Amino acid sequence: MGDIVFAGGIPHLPAMVGLYDRAPPDVQAIVRNSYEALHTEIKAAKPDAIIVFANDHLVNSRIRSYPDFLIGMASEHRGPHEWFKPWIGCRDYAIKGDQRTAAALFRGMIRRGIRMFAETGPLKFDDNISVPVTMGELDKLGIPLVPVLQNCTVPPIPEQHRCYEVGQALGDIIRNDLPPGMRVALIGSGGLSHEPGGSRYYVIDEEFDRWFLELVTSGDHDRMLKELTFDRMEASGSGGTVELFAWVVIVGAIGPRPGRSFGYANFRDFRCGFGAVIWDLSKQGMDKREREPA
Amino acid sequence: MSKSLLKSYDPSLVVHDLVQDLKWDPALRNEFARNEAAVLDRYPLEPAERQAIEKRDFRTLYDMGMHPYLGGQLSRLIWGNDAGGGAIRAVNNLVASLTSGKTEP
Repeated sequence: MGDIVFAGGIPHLPAMVGLYDRAPPDVQAIVRNSYEALHTEIKAAKPDAIIVFANDHLVNSRIRSYPDFLIGMASEHRGPHEWFKPWIGCRDYAIKGDQRTAAALFRGMIRRGIRMFAETGPLKFDDNISVPVTMGELDKLGIPLVPVLQNCTVPPIPEQHRCYEVGQALGDIIRNDLPPGMRVALIGSGGLSHEPGGSRYYVIDEEFDRWFLELVTSGDHDRMLKELTFDRMEASGSGGTVELFAWVVIVGAIGPRPGRSFGYANFRDFRCGFGAVIWDLSKQGMDKREREPA
Repeated sequence: MSKSLLKSYDPSLVVHDLVQDLKWDPALRNEFARNEAAVLDRYPLEPAERQAIEKRDFRTLYDMGMHPYLGGQLSRLIWGNDAGGGAIRAVNNLVASLTSGKTEP
């Protein structure tokens, strides 16, 4: 009987932190405004917990025994992991975990036939959790966080239909398994187009990024599930862009609703496109989608 | 034509373990910086795999099936990991290796 009171998607590009000062003012403004909106709107929504789905980036598990979803069940989460500190350039942080919600999520997914793994000890975080937490100052809100690290890297990767199913289960768990009145914020962390480790490391596919932002703010999930394919994302940046499947989990949880974009930034040194979305969870948001079917 | 780098990915390559161990273990990382050969000796790398690491030949490593995400991290382990300096050098050398075969030693 819980409620989803906030849902957003936001990138976690590491260079955006360390090279922020080198970016032009218009790029800095879009980044700053997006993270300020994330912080302000989560605070206003007064959630009891924040659940973040994000690419694990091969940080926590061996490549030959790699989970598709790994829930962090620790009582506290700290980051960034030691090796990633100079690379990201963000401050250290500690944020409370939510063991009860993490356990309910783990139990609920398994009971709904979705294989997830869970870790009660500390997880290692790179930019996936560290960038949204520090740039959005989520650790200063006093709201516990449940990280779910997702396989967006090791083939075969859970693609859009599977991620959407996981999102639908997430929504069902929040509505039916969590305590009455519990308020939950959801964040999909990742994207936009990028190719980490590839020959197109510096290439940002602005056409894809703008198309993606239009797609996910439209609330047209039939079109999203048809067009937002693994191959389409790989073409826009291999091995990186597919982490946008974390956003698909979030929209699967909330159902078809329109969203607001906070602008788009393409700065070569970031080696990744930037754009954030917050979805409209109000009754008006649902009504708007019903009036404007695909 | 697909641009996916993941098509030729081979999960069995030992270089993946090397990179994951290096990023998880500061002592091993320090030893790798001081005496790379001694660290490589402890991993059952195929001769061609080891030679490609030693030559900073990422094109060959990727053609053998190295995961590009770990390739990017290997480049930072070799050339530097700080956002404003070493990481940029690493990215530039990695891209150069993949496109022209020319990198710094």
